[in-house]
Amino acid sequence: MARDYDHLFKLLIIGDSGVGKSSLLLRFADNTFTGNYITTIGVDFKIKTINIDGLKVKLQIWDTAGQERFRTITSTYYRGTHGVIVVYDVTNGESFANVKRWLHEIDQHCDVVNRVLVGNKNDTPERKVVLTEDAQRFADTMNIQLFETSAKDNMYVEEMFLAITRLVLRSKKEMRERQNFTQGDTVNLRKGNKQGKKKNCC
Amino acid sequence: MLSINQDIFEIIQAKFSSSEVVRCIHLNVSLFTELSNEEYRILALVTKKSNSALFLFFCKKPNPIHLSDLFIETVIPIDENFECFSDTILGEDKYLLFIVKYRNFILEFRIKTGLESSNFASEIIKCKERSLYENCDHRWLFKYSDVKSPLDCTENKSQSPDIPFVRQNMAQNQNAINRESMLKYQLKLKEPEFTQYQEFTIFTGTWNVNGQLPSISLKPWLSCDTEPPDLYAVGFQEIDLSKEAFLFNDTPREAEWEKMVLEGVHPNAKYRTVALTRLVGIQLIVLINIKHYQHIKNVAVDTVGTGLLGKMGNKGGVAVRLDLHNTSLCFVNSHLAAHVEEFERRNQDYKDINARINFRRHPTAIKDHDQIYWLGDLNYRITELTTSQVKTLLLRNEMATLLKADQLNQQKERGNVLLDYNELDITFPPTYKYDLNSDTFDTSEKARPPAWTDRILYRGKGIYQQKYRSHMELRISDHKPVSALFKSEISVINQAKYRKVHEELLKRMDKLENEFLPQVTVDQTEIKFDLVRFREPQFRDIIIANTGQVPAEFEFIKKLDEQSYCKEWLRITPYCGTVNPGEKCDIRLEVNLETDLVELDDILVLHLNGGKDMFIIVTGKGQRSSFTTSMRALCRMSKPIMTLDDEQYRKIIALDGEVLYSVPRELWLLVDHLYTHGLTVKDLFESNSTQDSFIRLRDWLDFGSTEPISVSVETVAETLLIFLSYTKEPVIPSNLQNVAIAASSNYHNCKNIINEKLPDIHRNVFLYICMFLQELLRHSSENGYDAKTLASLFGEILLRDPIRNSKPQASRGKSNFIYNFLVNDLSTSIIPIK
Repeated sequence: MARDYDHLFKLLIIGDSGVGKSSLLLRFADNTFTGNYITTIGVDFKIKTINIDGLKVKLQIWDTAGQERFRTITSTYYRGTHGVIVVYDVTNGESFANVKRWLHEIDQHCDVVNRVLVGNKNDTPERKVVLTEDAQRFADTMNIQLFETSAKDNMYVEEMFLAITRLVLRSKKEMRERQNFTQGDTVNLRKGNKQGKKKNCC
Repeated sequence: MLSINQDIFEIIQAKFSSSEVVRCIHLNVSLFTELSNEEYRILALVTKKSNSALFLFFCKKPNPIHLSDLFIETVIPIDENFECFSDTILGEDKYLLFIVKYRNFILEFRIKTGLESSNFASEIIKCKERSLYENCDHRWLFKYSDVKSPLDCTENKSQSPDIPFVRQNMAQNQNAINRESMLKYQLKLKEPEFTQYQEFTIFTGTWNVNGQLPSISLKPWLSCDTEPPDLYAVGFQEIDLSKEAFLFNDTPREAEWEKMVLEGVHPNAKYRTVALTRLVGIQLIVLINIKHYQHIKNVAVDTVGTGLLGKMGNKGGVAVRLDLHNTSLCFVNSHLAAHVEEFERRNQDYKDINARINFRRHPTAIKDHDQIYWLGDLNYRITELTTSQVKTLLLRNEMATLLKADQLNQQKERGNVLLDYNELDITFPPTYKYDLNSDTFDTSEKARPPAWTDRILYRGKGIYQQKYRSHMELRISDHKPVSALFKSEISVINQAKYRKVHEELLKRMDKLENEFLPQVTVDQTEIKFDLVRFREPQFRDIIIANTGQVPAEFEFIKKLDEQSYCKEWLRITPYCGTVNPGEKCDIRLEVNLETDLVELDDILVLHLNGGKDMFIIVTGKGQRSSFTTSMRALCRMSKPIMTLDDEQYRKIIALDGEVLYSVPRELWLLVDHLYTHGLTVKDLFESNSTQDSFIRLRDWLDFGSTEPISVSVETVAETLLIFLSYTKEPVIPSNLQNVAIAASSNYHNCKNIINEKLPDIHRNVFLYICMFLQELLRHSSENGYDAKTLASLFGEILLRDPIRNSKPQASRGKSNFIYNFLVNDLSTSIIPIK
């Protein structure tokens, strides 16, 4: 059937309440920004199609409520996600401290390991409390790419979304290659011990 | 054919489990919207038990041999939402349009008319009919959920689906098809923005070879120009005049002439065959300079016979179509009817070829191409002039007079043939008919008048003909070859500009798609209830307003592993529905507390079909009540429950403190009132007292009062039943229920259970109630109750099932159990209690 994209990916934006998840999505999808803060109570998504390395990738980007009391519910939306964007607020140390918990949520609720770490609101240097070096060091230990963005000033938002999409594309490609490999004649030797149990929570 | 079908049938069956039975298949199905005819599809009707579904397979080959040749492309369940019908396709009588519809999901197929299709359709209809009176269960199709299926967009409304299921195929929405065609349309409109014209040299040639063997080099014809052309379209007629060629449409000459052409093309460039098509002796070869090869797409061919019986291939036309960059080209080589007087037949042949050539892809017809090059032995002659007159005029070079007498020019002028086609002025001598191996016109007895039978015409924008000539050097046939050289403007896509336009369009369409997502607002997302009291419902209304551009189907959905979309103390009406753009819908949330819950807390998930989810928080405080407090705690309360301070209350609930009463004070108050005022009241337990009077009595008990009971005795009776129905534990505790029912036929055993198994206070309550009922029975003549009725009424309450509202089980056993205690003398047989 004819369709207007080569890939369809589901991305998820998570992070503490008020770090600017919805703003990042609005900036990326509609190229708009509003200073009015409306807390997201629920989960919403937007569609954005991008051209990446000659491929048309349709992204369905889910924006989730960050409030603590919704955490158990929002975790159900992790299912089927290809990439996760973990956001903190560079002017809010606590939101950065909570990143670990968010990363843990990902590990618990989905197989996907495609993640990027995003320090948003990086537009007012005098209010910045999470230093780039600290964030970078943490990102390195967690083996995750760091972006410092500003949805307000439209800094590195597009780059960040492109990066996570590339990661998803790459892992999809690798997975296909791995499948091709295991479908070859080398499988049988390993069949006994390797194919026992596959994590399949998503 | 039958055995091939059987093989394919087995391969398809192998795709399914043994319980999924392939009932029938239909081969050679193509999607009506599909542009290319190089894709093959198969439809299969598959049944599991009483459920059926239509599977669309995509196959790599026309006849799949292996499992891996087949992919499941689409699955359509057959149930009450399934519809199918057929329609004719304009201009095609051998095929019909077969339309399958599932709600908003539509597929259109082109299938061949015949027995196979009618059988297949009738099988589908049988399955559909059966689905109407069977329970449809599509769960077996879920494993194919990675393929496109209308199941994605249909949820079973009767059961609220949980979040993951709704999400699963969210994005494969049905408007993907609309988006694609919209994108194509928009791109077409914006074409000038990203294309530019580039000149291509096109060499076209035609030669009737009179059945002669390809024995000479074609270089003098095909490479007579200094510069190598970009594209060749070379047509032959009469390459094989043998009966075999005519009857079996098969000839070794095809390859031989192709070889000669490839050897004869311009030496300064390399060429590759794009297409070769032939009908008996009419052959057309299209070659492309290999540097342009990658820009050729969507090549298709077709042939039409207009010879004997109007169908045979001794006369007719063959055609090749292709897209060169962004321009569609069509080349037609035709050999029209012979003989001087048959010009009308030739006109007809031309019309038939136009009407019947069908490339089975868009554009299907010759006329719909950007540029058309029509060549061939059109067989139009010179009329009204004798052979010698023609020859004389030729010698005098009076071409104008001759061309006026040319039938093609005459017919064209009258609009009978090749309308809108252009032809450059002819400056070469007639190309027919020559003595073989000479440049001499026919010297045979017939001495046919010379004629320009071999012609090349063109139609379309941006075509500039450079040359039009015959090639005398090629003498093996009684015709001379003709060639025309064109400079043609081909629309070439500027990739950078195209990408920009394309991206813009994608952006616009994303915007549209986002705008067309269902959007609603809810006027409040935090609902706080005041103190919620036992059996005193409260409600709040929330307003869902559709602020989007499409109807919004909303539904409260289950979260995680919860049983329902809301807690048991909450009711949502309506819990699903549709709101049209600009309209609103009131949703009533009603709490009704029947437990001792103190913190009421729930998060509702309001789901929009195909859109977002909103969370609505519901909170409230439950007020304590004697009705939901355990009897053991109640027996420790010296005063009404609401008059206790928090500390006293907490202690008592923790069963810290002395037992003050053998039965709860509240129970005693109710029973005592009935004992005093109700023994002789008819149908005491059958009243329907008002909510208001119940609440008055409830508060009278919970808050205490110096006033006497001010409600009717029937209300008191009903409240007694309520009290016993909501005690924290059933009077006969749940774990003893089965034992009690088992013992119900033996009074002695029943007694033992009461005496030995029941906690003290429960035993007191039980006996207290039974003795009161016995007292009632003593007045049965006035109140109308008998032991059986009371046993049945109180059996359900005293031995109530652990989960409220669950279906009554073993009612007879419960009733029998109670019955024992209503007809035997309790005072002698029951251990008295302190």
